[in-house]
Amino acid sequence: MPAPAQGHYRSGLAPEQDTTTFELDGGLTDAQPDFELEALVAEPALGPAQTELWLPDTDPEHPQPSPQLELDGMAPPLYHIRLDDGREARFQHAANLLSSLEAQNIDVHFQCREGYCGSCRAQLLDGEVHYAEEPMAWLNEGEILLCCCIPRSNLHIRLQD
Amino acid sequence: MPYTTFNRNEFDTFEQPMFFGEQVNVARYDQQKHKIFENLIEKQLSFFWRPEEVDLTNDRKDFLDLPDHEKHIFVSNLKYQTLLDSVQGRSPNVALLPVVSLPELETWIETWSFSETIHSRSYTHIVRNIVPNPSVIFDDITRNEFITRRAESVTRYYDDFIYLSNYYIQLGEGTHRINDEIVEVNLHELKRRMYLMLVSVNVLEAIRFYVSFACSFAFAERAKMEGNAKIIKLIARDEALHLTGTQHMLQIMARGKDDPEFAEIAEECKDDVIRIFTEAAVQEKEWAEYLFKDGSMIGLNKDILCQYVEYITNQRIGALGFDRIFTSRSNPLPWINSWLNSDNVQVAPQESEISSYLVGAIDSEVDTNDLGDFDL
Repeated sequence: MPAPAQGHYRSGLAPEQDTTTFELDGGLTDAQPDFELEALVAEPALGPAQTELWLPDTDPEHPQPSPQLELDGMAPPLYHIRLDDGREARFQHAANLLSSLEAQNIDVHFQCREGYCGSCRAQLLDGEVHYAEEPMAWLNEGEILLCCCIPRSNLHIRLQD
Repeated sequence: MPYTTFNRNEFDTFEQPMFFGEQVNVARYDQQKHKIFENLIEKQLSFFWRPEEVDLTNDRKDFLDLPDHEKHIFVSNLKYQTLLDSVQGRSPNVALLPVVSLPELETWIETWSFSETIHSRSYTHIVRNIVPNPSVIFDDITRNEFITRRAESVTRYYDDFIYLSNYYIQLGEGTHRINDEIVEVNLHELKRRMYLMLVSVNVLEAIRFYVSFACSFAFAERAKMEGNAKIIKLIARDEALHLTGTQHMLQIMARGKDDPEFAEIAEECKDDVIRIFTEAAVQEKEWAEYLFKDGSMIGLNKDILCQYVEYITNQRIGALGFDRIFTSRSNPLPWINSWLNSDNVQVAPQESEISSYLVGAIDSEVDTNDLGDFDL
């Protein structure tokens, strides 16, 4: 007789090995399952809805799985980002330039973070960027979309004000 | 050249401009002059949602608890949004489809309008949930003078274009005598009206809508009317895409990329563009005054909303390559970004609050502790 598929039995054991006893009447006195139909404590008051929203809990400039090409035993190249107002940043591990700048306390306008709204467009004064996916927002000559590009060289950029 | 639903002429698609070229015939997407419109269509389709997916039962309770001046803000804002989407749900079709010459653009216009009709349906969904008789709200849209004044500025450029383009489609260029009225139909003037109309659409999508979004999100920021905010988030995501579509049309025109005459027109109309944006900002500020006439709400008042109008106007006119109109630089409502960010939008029905997915649902999360008193 083929063994019954596992999972039919709560213990995960074949029936002949299953020593768990189920008593239908009165057997569950001290082992009541630990749940309540209604929470005993009042639910905590709802905080501002924003706390449920997208708030980065990781630092994108810290090594972690990223869409950048994995190079065995080598760190991704480090690029230097210079803003025309004098601020500076570095780019190494982040998934895109926008999150890298944000992680380094440089505020950038953003909305969709997917390349279609165009809120994060910036002027590329010097350097080269790469898009993993072609951005949909309209870009004028010399403009880049920070939410979907990564640098290919050191960059000199001007953010929108 | 009267409108025909299937143009029998043979022509090269790549030779056609976006508008006023050959009328479209085969709805084929294998050869595309402007591939961006196909990308926009695909993106818009991937955004598909239905208002009924969002549960609004808590909003009803929230609404009843709002003080009267906040009810006024909420309802007036909703009326304005309803007006804007009523216009957008039909006007691009009526105005642009008769003169469009590229199949991918034609389909984008239809997809665009269609998604606006979803927005309109979602307003009915919201209104049904907050008041027992929706007519109280909807009937007022055509009666309330503050709303009708908004309607006039939103529709003027559409109506001007459609008026002339109807004659052009039927009678072609020239001077025509219709019912003892002399109508001068001139393609250059028609293109000028189209350009201004698209600028005004851009203003509608890029400024007017965002001012109304700010109000909706301001409620949710205080954990009130959150279902409504969830719907508005979905609408905002669509509008960001429509905005990109309109910016592409305007920029393709301004660069003369397919019709050199439009480049001339864009050059001629530069002052008009600035005027349309400035007027819209003034109108939105007047609207802010009406919204907050009986009092402000926590987190938003007339002044902050007016600053936001200036900020967003600067942003949008900048995107079209113009200089800023106002001096303000920073976003007075920084929290709005997290509401507008599409990462936060739940799209899969099982993730959102669609009730049918929750009927008979069980908590399927199992922790090792759950098996703590389990003896073998």
